[in-house]
Amino acid sequence: MTRPAIDSDRLARALRPIVGDDRISAKETDLTTYSRDMWPRLLISIREGTPLPHRAHLVVWPETVGEVAEIVRVARSQGVPIIPYGGGSGVCGGTVPVKGGIALDLKRMSAVAKIDRDDLICDVQAGANGEHFERELATRGYTFGHFPSSIYVSTVGGWVATRAAGQMSSKYGKVEDRIAGVTMVTGRGDIIDTDGLARSHRGPSWTQLLVGSEGTLGVITSARLRVSPAPELRVLRGYSFPDLIGGIEALRRIMQRGLRPAVLRLYDEFDTLMNALSGGGDRAPADIRHHHAPSPPAGAGALPRVPTQSADVEERSGLLGQIVGQLVPKDRRRGLTQSLRRELVAATLSRPRLFNNVAGPVASRGLRRGCRMIVGLEGSRVRTETEARLTFGELERAGGVDLGEEPGRRWLEHRYSVSYKMSPAFRAGAFVDTMEVASTWERLVDLYRSVRAAIAKHALVMAHLSHAYPEGCSIYFTFAGYADNQKHAEKLYDELWRSGMEAATRAGGTISHHHGVGLLKSLHMREEHRESMAILEALKASMDPDDIMNPGKLGLSAGGLS
Amino acid sequence: MTARVARAPNLGEELEAIVGHGHATDRPAHLAEVGIRAAASEPATWLVRPGSGAEIAEIVRLANRRHIPVSPVGAAARPPAALGAAEAGILVDLRRMSHVLHLDETSLVVHVQAGLSAHALEHILAPRGLSLGDFPPAILASTVGGMLSVRTPGKSSPRHGFIEEAVLGISAVLGDGRSIHTRVAPRRATGPDLARALCGSEGTLGFITSAVLRIHRRPEARFLSAHHLPDFEAALSAVHLAMREDAAPAALRVYDERQARAGLGDGAVRPGGAVLLAATAGPTDLAACDRDLIASSASALGGTPIAESFAETWWRQRTGREDSPSAALPSLQVSARPSRQAAVHRALRAAAAEAGIEVCVYASRFDPYGAVLFVTLIDPSTGEALGAQAEDAARGAIERAAEQAGAALLGAVPPALTPYFEDMRRRLDPAGIMNPRALASGSE
Amino acid sequence: MSSPFSPEGVAKQLDYCTYCPKMCRLACPVSNASARETLIPQAKMDTLNQLRRGRVPWSEPAAEPLWGCTGCRHCTVYCEHDNEPGLVLFSGRAEATSRGVGHPRLTDYPARFRNRDERLAERVREHVPRDRLGADTTVTFFPGCDAIDKAPEGISKALSLFDAATDDRVQVADIGRACAGYPLLAAGYPDMFRWHAAKVAGDLKRARTAIVGCSACVYTMRTQYAAEGINVSTEVLSVPEFLADRISRTPKRNRGESVYYHDPCYLSRYAGVVEAPRRVLAQIADVREFSWSGVDTVCCGGGGMLPKTMPETADAMAAQRLREIAQRGGGTVVTSCGTCSYMLARNAPRGVEVTDLHAYVADAAGAQPSPDATGDRAPGAEPSAPKRPSSTSDAP
Repeated sequence: MTRPAIDSDRLARALRPIVGDDRISAKETDLTTYSRDMWPRLLISIREGTPLPHRAHLVVWPETVGEVAEIVRVARSQGVPIIPYGGGSGVCGGTVPVKGGIALDLKRMSAVAKIDRDDLICDVQAGANGEHFERELATRGYTFGHFPSSIYVSTVGGWVATRAAGQMSSKYGKVEDRIAGVTMVTGRGDIIDTDGLARSHRGPSWTQLLVGSEGTLGVITSARLRVSPAPELRVLRGYSFPDLIGGIEALRRIMQRGLRPAVLRLYDEFDTLMNALSGGGDRAPADIRHHHAPSPPAGAGALPRVPTQSADVEERSGLLGQIVGQLVPKDRRRGLTQSLRRELVAATLSRPRLFNNVAGPVASRGLRRGCRMIVGLEGSRVRTETEARLTFGELERAGGVDLGEEPGRRWLEHRYSVSYKMSPAFRAGAFVDTMEVASTWERLVDLYRSVRAAIAKHALVMAHLSHAYPEGCSIYFTFAGYADNQKHAEKLYDELWRSGMEAATRAGGTISHHHGVGLLKSLHMREEHRESMAILEALKASMDPDDIMNPGKLGLSAGGLS
Repeated sequence: MTARVARAPNLGEELEAIVGHGHATDRPAHLAEVGIRAAASEPATWLVRPGSGAEIAEIVRLANRRHIPVSPVGAAARPPAALGAAEAGILVDLRRMSHVLHLDETSLVVHVQAGLSAHALEHILAPRGLSLGDFPPAILASTVGGMLSVRTPGKSSPRHGFIEEAVLGISAVLGDGRSIHTRVAPRRATGPDLARALCGSEGTLGFITSAVLRIHRRPEARFLSAHHLPDFEAALSAVHLAMREDAAPAALRVYDERQARAGLGDGAVRPGGAVLLAATAGPTDLAACDRDLIASSASALGGTPIAESFAETWWRQRTGREDSPSAALPSLQVSARPSRQAAVHRALRAAAAEAGIEVCVYASRFDPYGAVLFVTLIDPSTGEALGAQAEDAARGAIERAAEQAGAALLGAVPPALTPYFEDMRRRLDPAGIMNPRALASGSE
Repeated sequence: MSSPFSPEGVAKQLDYCTYCPKMCRLACPVSNASARETLIPQAKMDTLNQLRRGRVPWSEPAAEPLWGCTGCRHCTVYCEHDNEPGLVLFSGRAEATSRGVGHPRLTDYPARFRNRDERLAERVREHVPRDRLGADTTVTFFPGCDAIDKAPEGISKALSLFDAATDDRVQVADIGRACAGYPLLAAGYPDMFRWHAAKVAGDLKRARTAIVGCSACVYTMRTQYAAEGINVSTEVLSVPEFLADRISRTPKRNRGESVYYHDPCYLSRYAGVVEAPRRVLAQIADVREFSWSGVDTVCCGGGGMLPKTMPETADAMAAQRLREIAQRGGGTVVTSCGTCSYMLARNAPRGVEVTDLHAYVADAAGAQPSPDATGDRAPGAEPSAPKRPSSTSDAP
């Protein structure tokens, strides 16, 4: 474990006058929790019980921007790193305290200010939870239109810090498209606001230079976000295309015609298949499920026993279960023993090349499923109706087959479900992760093929396209890999990411569309930006001259896991 | 520093060696062509016309060695601070770098050299049914480099947003002669948007050599409409209401009574009234839908439709096909957020009245974040625009009143961020040669 | 598939939480109030998982996160794995307690529980006329500990409503016990709970129906007694269920007031009681909703022994719950649980009044004129009034 020489006691003594005793913690449990985010590579360690390599020295909970500034000044004077922490939902290790220091949890700063009707700008503090923020807006008749699958977890500050995207970005845009200004405490300890009409200020757009900084330039404490009136109408539809290329062409035509459906999701053959298999819809709504709380069976005792390790038995469910299910004839599935099932998972995922072929285009031809697309439009009634008519017409002209409302409705109900699929896969001994790349349309099919091929050598892979723009689109790969032990799994994981990132760069795409860089992609930042890194380095040196802000990230200094 | 320049015997030769014979000059007549008041004596000012980004890099390296400033000259008017009288150094004129490097009609993306004028680019795109989009025609006079590196008011469209949002990538030469090319992607999440560091930085952080821009297909339909509203503020409210309803018109303009009479003739407006002019564009049904949304918003605020011919007149003036009768440049321009526009309008009218003058106002350059109010100061005794001297005397008080009401004056450098900007500048340009007089601390 | 509470099922729950990207975090009121990442359900379950695997040795500090849960089940609304972190964490508490590393403030809890239970059972007798007390009636009223402790005047108001609603003569249970035993479960003493539950169930056996005033008692009697193998033939009804079943005989007199209804977690999410209180209230007032209500209700902070183990956080939860009402300009909040009512009232901001459903309905109906019956226990009316120390509450 890396724990540079930082005097926690001295640090705590200096911080106590700022936040008091209650809002500083050096508890082991807290330091453990704040040592990670949802980076799947760390989950491999957690599953195997290996201690995580980095820990913070203290956790601090500020309540005002003034406190944040004072904390930064103390940290600066003692040369201690600060890692801003929101929901800890990142999937790239962005909040891992690689040089120790202060984990600065911003969730006590979560106020949502009044919205002016004409400006449609909402000032919201960084620690506001995404779903809480969206519901608060809904009660006032607005929406931010940002629905990442992490919305239950992530915070507004995290969105701004990573240039996040939601499932309705085709209409509402990514966070950077919807932001008028931020308040940041810089690494020098100053409080700065970047608001103002962009065109009336000279000099570069500071908002755009701070959005996406992932805590490396300062602490984002609030943001002025553009909101929209709550939609009066929402229309959802499913379409089917014979193949991925046809679907991509339809997306391009829609966006370039100036139409802005909120939802545009195109699944490749394998993802379409998995979608069809996952079914959904079998889970009762919360109000029915909660009619009676489940409890231990009669006579079993009011409290279950805490099990020992021997109780760890695999279950066939979730992603891997579906894969296994698909590969084993139905009449034989029931007879499989648990251990045989596990072997099947291992067998499937250890031969990714073979099964990527079986489950990909081959399956698609055999099952004639093609590629599924979900389309959704929302907004003011009249305009949405018009836009929907034009969009559906465009889809049909592009060869899409209308599947009616049902697929769209089902998607909406289960739109965050993907995030729940991590648990069964990890429990079954596999790892799953996602890679989101993007390019202009001209390069998109190349990008899809080369990144898919790069991943397919190492893991089972599927993809969908879900954030379209007039000039291009992102591709979201989901993959599942398996190795027989932690060392091998991590090696496989790293190799997979290295080849995926290289393939994306070679094909002329970006290595990240909306998950950010964190530790995971830090090593690839130089390939991504090449000589332009000089600008980022100058920006970093000016905002955070002592390199105390989330050090080791964004490819700015030696980072990565040792 | 300047003394060394003066003694440098072979700067011209060195520059010619880089850009080729005939592309470097220090003759006053040539300097005058680009608007530089040339001093006959030292210090020497050289005007060079490089043919590539590589040549610019060479020039910057030379300037570093010799510690002499390198500044861009563009095709269009620039803010006063960007360039003044001749000073020692190298002026870079990009007129030779005016090529379209790549036109990707699949992605609707164009890669152009910085010296191409936006107007010329439109000419290249038009036969293919393409365009930069519905931006105010006035900004097309600049070169692409000038359009992006100098931020002047109104580079915005209600349909496409702020011009910088059309930038997908920038190539530039940094202060040490390194060339950078930010890579193109529709969006990314790999740190701050580095291309945006170069936009608006007026050649200080880097010298823009080419840009990758989003372009658009020419709209299938365009509708023009005109509405009379009871007063100026009602017309502004109608705009806000329509934008709330998701309307994304191609262009909008609001005239006060005096401006409407001047621009559209007496028939367009009743006493105290205002005129809202709108162009909507896109797929026919959507353009019609936006037109109807504007009509119903105007009607909700007491407006009535007036003859489409008024809108056509406006559109012809706007696109330069007809001379605008009010050709005089407005005396002042301020931006304001939607919620402040009415207050700003009231404040500047009141301040003018206090000074005993009248004003003529129109609002334009709307985008979701605000608009620009263009104000001409009128001498009540003649009904004509104030003379230059009187205008200068009156402007300050009116601007202050507008600012107090929430307007942003154009051309200010945000003071809280100046130390950071200066610091970045020092790091990227340690010799201090990159357009050193631009964006100086607190400059206007 | 094995039961979710079999050893395999619990192991699976713990693992699924450990690997989950924290999808229920928005719903955990404890972590929302404290902003402490270690108290989100995922982290608490991970804590228990590491302890049970022996990767972290059992100790008081290591087990401390297990106590940061009110058992409110809000997380389960957002769990697609159908995990039950509340109950599993309570198991972890029991394990910690049995290993001698239970919560330091709860080491002598069983004794304190017994004392308080006896004291409150005695107190009922002071507040209820002798002829309304009884151990064997057809319909019995079991108010719950906080109702007796903090709002005893409400008991007779409830009785007046019952009198109107049924021909049976409802008597307050006089069985020497005031609590169904939930706090023992939440405090990590399942054995003491089993003993206590058996006694209560035995004493109530003769009643056909038990009207229960405490939401946690309703859940405990209905569900946890059975899990312990204690046969409860008595029908257990919450106050709103009992009244809603007799809606034609509950007061109907809309005075044009509007009130907010706060759903107690143990009624809405454990017992599915969502509509009943609204039906009863709608007869006398316009019912307005919190933006989080029904099965999505937000806990008042009173559950899971939190007022004992993390009192500041418990109070912060109640304050946070009512902030929305204050922002909307204040008003009356009605709830149907003695503990919710106590927690909310002691943390009510200026302009927000909190009252029990039975008291509000009885007052509104004028069944028992008592003009300031609600006013005198709404600290919100006097914001400067010192809060009662929470240690007097043995609320669940």
